[in-house]
Amino acid sequence: MQETNQPMQVEKFYYDNKIVKAFGYATIVFGLVGMLAGLWAAIQIFYPESSLNFPATTFGRLRPLHTNAIIFAFVGNASFAGIYYSLQRLCKARMFSDKLSWIHFWGWQLIIVAAAITLPLGLTTGAEYAELIWPIDIAITLVWVIFGINMFGTIIKRREKHLYVAIWFYIATWVTVALLHIVRSIELPYSATGSYSWFAGVQDALVQWWYGHNAVAFFLTTPVLGLMYYFLPKAANRPVYSYRLSIIHFWALIFIYIWAGPHHLLYTALPDWAQSLGVVFSIMLIAPSWGGMLNGLFTLRGAWDKVREDPVLKFMVVAITCYGMATLEGPLLSLKSVNAISHFSDWTIAHVHIGGLGWNGFLAFSILYYMIPKMWGTSLYSKKLAANHFWLGTIGIILYAVPLYWAGFEQSLNWKAFTPEGQLKFDFMETVNNIKGMYVSRSIGGALYLVGAILMTYNLYKTIAKGKFIANEAAEAAPIVKEVSKKKEYWHRVIERKPVMLLVLSLIVVALGGLIEIIPTFLVKSNVPTIASVKPYTPLELQGRDIYVREGCYTCHSQMIRPFRDEVARYGEYSKAGEFVYDHPHQWGSKRTGPDLAREGGKFSDSWHYNHMYDPRSMSPGSLMPQYVWLLDDKIDTSSTPAKIRAMMTLGVPYPKGYDKLANIDLMQQATKIAANLKADKIETAPDKEIIALIAYLQRLGTDIKTVSKQPITETKK
Amino acid sequence: MFSSPNNKVKYILVLIVIFLISFQSAWAAGPPAPSLFSNPLALILIILMILLLIIIAILAGILVGAADVKLKKRKKGNSSVVTSGLMILFLLSGSSLLAQDVAADTTTTTVAKTIGGMPASTFYIMATVIFLELGLIIALLINIRFLLKNEKEKLVVADEPETIEAKKNKLSWWDRMNKLRPVSQEAELDLGHEYDGIRELNNKLPPWWLYGFYLTIIFAVVYLWRFHVSHTGPSSQQEYEISIAKAELKTQEYLKAKGDAVDENTVTLLKGTEDLAAGKIIYMKSCASCHTETGAGNVGPNLTDNYWIHGNDVKSIFKTIRYGINAMPQWQNTYSNKQLAQVTSYIKTLVGTNPPNGKAAQGTEMKDEVPAAKPAADSATVKEIK
Repeated sequence: MQETNQPMQVEKFYYDNKIVKAFGYATIVFGLVGMLAGLWAAIQIFYPESSLNFPATTFGRLRPLHTNAIIFAFVGNASFAGIYYSLQRLCKARMFSDKLSWIHFWGWQLIIVAAAITLPLGLTTGAEYAELIWPIDIAITLVWVIFGINMFGTIIKRREKHLYVAIWFYIATWVTVALLHIVRSIELPYSATGSYSWFAGVQDALVQWWYGHNAVAFFLTTPVLGLMYYFLPKAANRPVYSYRLSIIHFWALIFIYIWAGPHHLLYTALPDWAQSLGVVFSIMLIAPSWGGMLNGLFTLRGAWDKVREDPVLKFMVVAITCYGMATLEGPLLSLKSVNAISHFSDWTIAHVHIGGLGWNGFLAFSILYYMIPKMWGTSLYSKKLAANHFWLGTIGIILYAVPLYWAGFEQSLNWKAFTPEGQLKFDFMETVNNIKGMYVSRSIGGALYLVGAILMTYNLYKTIAKGKFIANEAAEAAPIVKEVSKKKEYWHRVIERKPVMLLVLSLIVVALGGLIEIIPTFLVKSNVPTIASVKPYTPLELQGRDIYVREGCYTCHSQMIRPFRDEVARYGEYSKAGEFVYDHPHQWGSKRTGPDLAREGGKFSDSWHYNHMYDPRSMSPGSLMPQYVWLLDDKIDTSSTPAKIRAMMTLGVPYPKGYDKLANIDLMQQATKIAANLKADKIETAPDKEIIALIAYLQRLGTDIKTVSKQPITETKK
Repeated sequence: MFSSPNNKVKYILVLIVIFLISFQSAWAAGPPAPSLFSNPLALILIILMILLLIIIAILAGILVGAADVKLKKRKKGNSSVVTSGLMILFLLSGSSLLAQDVAADTTTTTVAKTIGGMPASTFYIMATVIFLELGLIIALLINIRFLLKNEKEKLVVADEPETIEAKKNKLSWWDRMNKLRPVSQEAELDLGHEYDGIRELNNKLPPWWLYGFYLTIIFAVVYLWRFHVSHTGPSSQQEYEISIAKAELKTQEYLKAKGDAVDENTVTLLKGTEDLAAGKIIYMKSCASCHTETGAGNVGPNLTDNYWIHGNDVKSIFKTIRYGINAMPQWQNTYSNKQLAQVTSYIKTLVGTNPPNGKAAQGTEMKDEVPAAKPAADSATVKEIK
């Protein structure tokens, strides 16, 4: 700091580069793995046979693996690498504790490995981006606390009086992710690997998208903005454009972001008032998001000539531009009229990949290209290879996103089209056939992007080979002098000197929005009007539901009919909040690669479902659904039934007392009946197969109010 | 754009009040108007008005900036003139919004003069506002051009070294729009903060960004007011009911005009080859997966024998297909009644065809109401085989 000019004792210390190296390597490895999983999943969408008819590699289990690997392993490790690198330098101090650094590193990698094992095994909670099972959830909490202690320890022992804007973002990230993760993970275990969400239906959906939306905000945005604030000015050697803009956009961003979650639930059974809050806060989010983009791009003023040369800046500029586009598009997609078209379609997938491939991916590449030559005391092996990587990546993003935007828009309009006679113009299969080509093109884009990342890996490998690693980088700085500066200063400088105050203020600011949206939804009865005919699932249906969750059916099928003419015509009466009160967790889904299943019950015969699971294309020619052959052979795990019933009873599902002991009797009775139905259609199967439970669940879906559908549905508001 | 913070606050407050008043009075007029904001033309016009307004605000900012540069001193009068000008403009647009809402109320009673589905008067008011805005933009552009031209001429006459210096410091429209200061003046902006070599500048917030932010906040207030306080906007459920009613009306009109209103009470067996061919296409596409291509039955029952679960007359089959029953899906939303009549007629031609692998009989035996001599005999033998 320049405020104290008198000479003082300068301390010598060393930055820990080894931990940065470890996180950097992990970033590259898991980045490639996550992208490969994504590519495979993308190919399965137009070529379902590539699931290999093997449970672990089928789309419903591969997709969570892809999203978790990219979010938590690739971007997570990249953020940690960047944070460990920049935090030490911004605090003029080595990390608080090397031991904690390594516990953090190995703990996080173990969590990733555990995820990579459990997700393909079908061990999942069924909540998007929070699929990991409860023991892993606990491990994440512990590792996150370790990371927090290490980060705060470093901040406390810093030699820099004020905290730079990057560190504000790191602090907000830490505190908010902790809050989000804990609330989303409130669940009741019924076995060593299984659990049910504490929340049900509408409430579970609200908690889910408060979490899901803010995972994007506080795991994929705020830490990465922090990285931008460090690496961009360093690489460009330019001062940050506007300190004032940093302050305003930081506080506005973290305050407003947290409210916007309900925009994932527009036109659903979520109460209208909560939906409207989601809409308006999304719109108000445009400027705070763009504040980050402007501060980044304007910082490059006077250094644009460098952008042409330097791979670090090149990637950074495209990353920031993608950030700007995605954060303008997001709010526009939150307008109800636009959302009515975009939601459940591939448009959303295109949108998130502008953020994922463009903003997160390119920023991660950028900081790797910056840190690795620096830490090995050398220069990049080949600027030309990096340029090739840049172009492959950029073209990859375009080839990925443009066809999917088109596909989403076209399919959605097809869904909504009616003939003049008043019939739906296209059946679901036709709307899928129309866009199959786009799915192919998207995979090509993804493949190019992956090839680019492989080029980078090679380039960095050669860079490392020609340099010499500096494990402990020497630095020196004077300690902070405890003196109150008499100079008049900007009010925010006070907060920048007080990390704990910054932490507490961030927590208050982010907690506010969540509390105001979530608490009334739980406490005010009129938000979820009860429907008398809605009854708990039978034990067989419950087992079937768990199979539905295990196979990740929600990754392609929604269970939420919105109040639109076309959806009611196609799927039946639109979904009511009261129908989902026993759904722990809710399975509304966010994508309709296949049709909605909210009222699947009774639409087709048991034998249709049996044949369809064995080979979807036999019943529905042209279908993109994978085969689920193992369901025909595997037996229902009836030993878990009593524990599941007990867990549900604890969560308030009104089974009669002592029902856990009788449940399996009812289960077998219902299963025998379905087996008999199948036999009548020339299908011989034992009643204890998993397919029977799944059929029972599918035949139940949405029928609770279907039986009285001729009368208007009575919702009792209390 | 607006020099003193007081001015700014006042300006925002006035804006908010104007908006609120305009919407409140619309609300007082009654609970109407899901129509206006759902009308695409109206929506486009409103968005256009707002966009133009933003452009005007930006241009006004540039104009003030250019004037400042020209006069080399800041006159307070300048900005306040623009402020009041903008206020009047907002006032205009605010009251036109009010007019729209009132006009929208009347649509519920009179469906008389409309342009693109919106009341003619509303359309003309909106169009006028847009033209006024366009005029203002042109006026602003002319002014800016004039000011910049002056600047240029001055630069040309200036001495050589000074010109270079001036060029360096000259601000482009882009710089003005963002309130960017020339890079050469950066030292003045340096705050003296330094973190690992990173310095921070004290640049002002880009005005369009700041006012854009305010605009979104105003949007939020108006939106919540409209949908949850005044209830002039429809809820999701109301929106659904409106769309259904509209579609129903349209379909009825279409069918009446076409004279093609068949249903299960009036349907008759079609014998034309064209109808049967059309019926066959539908059958192969939607029925064959369960009943097989020959009608022998698989997941669904055999359609070629004389055993029927839900009746075998044309009207009953039509009804079964149209509304579905038990595991039989409904098709009323997929096919028109005419198409349903075609496929029903095609199915009737399958009876007695006796394909291989026929599924066992289900339901009760039924013969055609007007049994044709030959098929009746055939189907008797089919029954025997089973």
